[in-house]
Amino acid sequence: MHLDPVANMQLLVSGLAIGSIYALVALGFVLIYNAVGVVNFAQGEFVMFPSYIAVTFLLPATAVFGTLVHWQLPVLVVYALVLVLMVGFGLLFNRIAYHPLRDRGWLPVVISTIGVSIFLRNAAQLTWGSQPIVMPSLFTVDTIAVGPLHIRPQDLLIIGVTAVLIAFQYFLFERTTLGKQMRATAQDRTTARLIGIRVGRIVAITFVYSALLGTISGLLVAPLFTVTKEMGGLIALKAFAASIVGGFGSIPGAIAGGLAIGVIETFGGFYISSSYVDAIAFIILIGVLLFKPSGLFGERVAEKA
Amino acid sequence: MSRKPLVVLALVVVLALLPVFVHSDYVLTLLDLAGIYAIAVMGLGILLGFTGQMSLAQAAFLGIGAYTSAWFTTHLGWPVWPAMGAAVALSALVGLAVGYPCLRLSGHYLALATIGFGIIAQLVLINWKSVTNGSDGVTGIPPPQIGPWTLDTYGKYYYLVLAAVLVCAYVAWRIKTTRVGRALHAIRENEIAARATGIDATRYKIIAFVLAGAYAGLAGSLLAHDIKFISPDSYSFDQSVVFLVMLILGGSSSITGALVGALLLTMLPEVLRPLKSSYIMVYGAAVIAMIVFMPQGLVGLFAALRARFETRTPPRAQAPAGSPGPAGAPEAEPA
Repeated sequence: MHLDPVANMQLLVSGLAIGSIYALVALGFVLIYNAVGVVNFAQGEFVMFPSYIAVTFLLPATAVFGTLVHWQLPVLVVYALVLVLMVGFGLLFNRIAYHPLRDRGWLPVVISTIGVSIFLRNAAQLTWGSQPIVMPSLFTVDTIAVGPLHIRPQDLLIIGVTAVLIAFQYFLFERTTLGKQMRATAQDRTTARLIGIRVGRIVAITFVYSALLGTISGLLVAPLFTVTKEMGGLIALKAFAASIVGGFGSIPGAIAGGLAIGVIETFGGFYISSSYVDAIAFIILIGVLLFKPSGLFGERVAEKA
Repeated sequence: MSRKPLVVLALVVVLALLPVFVHSDYVLTLLDLAGIYAIAVMGLGILLGFTGQMSLAQAAFLGIGAYTSAWFTTHLGWPVWPAMGAAVALSALVGLAVGYPCLRLSGHYLALATIGFGIIAQLVLINWKSVTNGSDGVTGIPPPQIGPWTLDTYGKYYYLVLAAVLVCAYVAWRIKTTRVGRALHAIRENEIAARATGIDATRYKIIAFVLAGAYAGLAGSLLAHDIKFISPDSYSFDQSVVFLVMLILGGSSSITGALVGALLLTMLPEVLRPLKSSYIMVYGAAVIAMIVFMPQGLVGLFAALRARFETRTPPRAQAPAGSPGPAGAPEAEPA
């Protein structure tokens, strides 16, 4: 292992960027888990689906159901459109996959979210085909020089947007009534309902918020990779791993876990093995589960009787 | 209830005579596959249905069984039967190795840890080229022989699969109806209460993991010697999900349910073939509909219908909220 400070700094920036994506998706997991006590296995599709919609309107021509369409719109209009659509998506998801099963324990909900995930992946393949689609970047250059470093501007954008979102979330949860209602619902639904919080509505808002976090991560990460039906799956699994490494249910834990996994994975992929790069997150996960199951910021893991 | 052994016997006779009437290789292949999947699903049933421990790595165990069998026969030139034994033993051992650290986990944590294990296992299958031949897979896996007979056609192989399914179903039924099964059931319903009554929950959960691994290992080995070619993409997370759905569709703590679920969902893609590429989408939608409208699976649905017709039988109780799965109301499930 050669210690080249420039290379290591570049790895650190890319690691923090991909880690930010894991952190955003992990936040989506944790918010839903705190609100309703289930893990949403379709969280990856909250990343994949809006990315497909975005490329359909960003590119001059896209194949939809095998026919070329020319629906190109200005970038900001596309982003706004995708965010609005995903609000509807979050509401619909809550209505179909969670709401009918809300009183039936966690396993039925897990299976129904897996069902949604299968449905959406294959709906995407049917609509947009199986070829990966490249999302145009907002930037005209691949890398910019910062001192001796060559850094992708997209990485900086990802880190910046993530920082803003985390600040926004802090403000939302600490300073607004809505945020306080969301926290109360997460803490104790029955008591929240008793003091007049409309729990059903808060749960729906949580699903929408989580879908929007997924959407933003998708729009941010897609220019780095490509848009495929599989793009969300692995990101979501690693984000889930990140949220457990950080301490499940903990918001700072999800952020720290996401960043840690992104950085370790990037260094591991460079210095140890690029073939096993996707295993790194899960090896860390299993290690954490074995030796400190409550995670970095965790509360207790033991289940109630 | 006393008619039950007769029904089972009649069913076995019909199944045994099936290749006499069905000559289509296509149908026989599917039946072989359904039987093999049924074994893996029964293994998952012991873990999830009986014990309430979620696993999304069943396909990875299938892969371990398949590759072990393939390696022992093609690399070391072992005959098929000891290779099959090695496959079962190794999968069971890995089940032990995975089950042990997973003991303190339950629910979502367990689901995720098993997904993580499944992904690591698949990456090993793809990248450990000297043993697994990477993404190209292993070819030329020999068929098993019984004395002078080589089970080289799907029709002949069908009998081997049928025998294996029957043995596995019998073992699962014995487990379910004896002391071990009652202990597993108690752990599923309430682990803390089970411990309080003196059940060694740690030991029984490990037993369940080992059995699930062994069943999947056998299924994987049978699959390898049936289709004679294996590659890593058959043992993905998606396949584990398919096994889970088969189990839930059938009725998660019922052995009959595991068999029915495996058979139906192996045939369903073939029936949906006219829908071409949209069939998996329909499949996803069906999963949601099933879980919303049919929480106890097909077996539970039939039991409910029967209860409705037999007026003396009181209607079946709903599974309590927060129970570890759609499994519930044990008095209503046939074994």
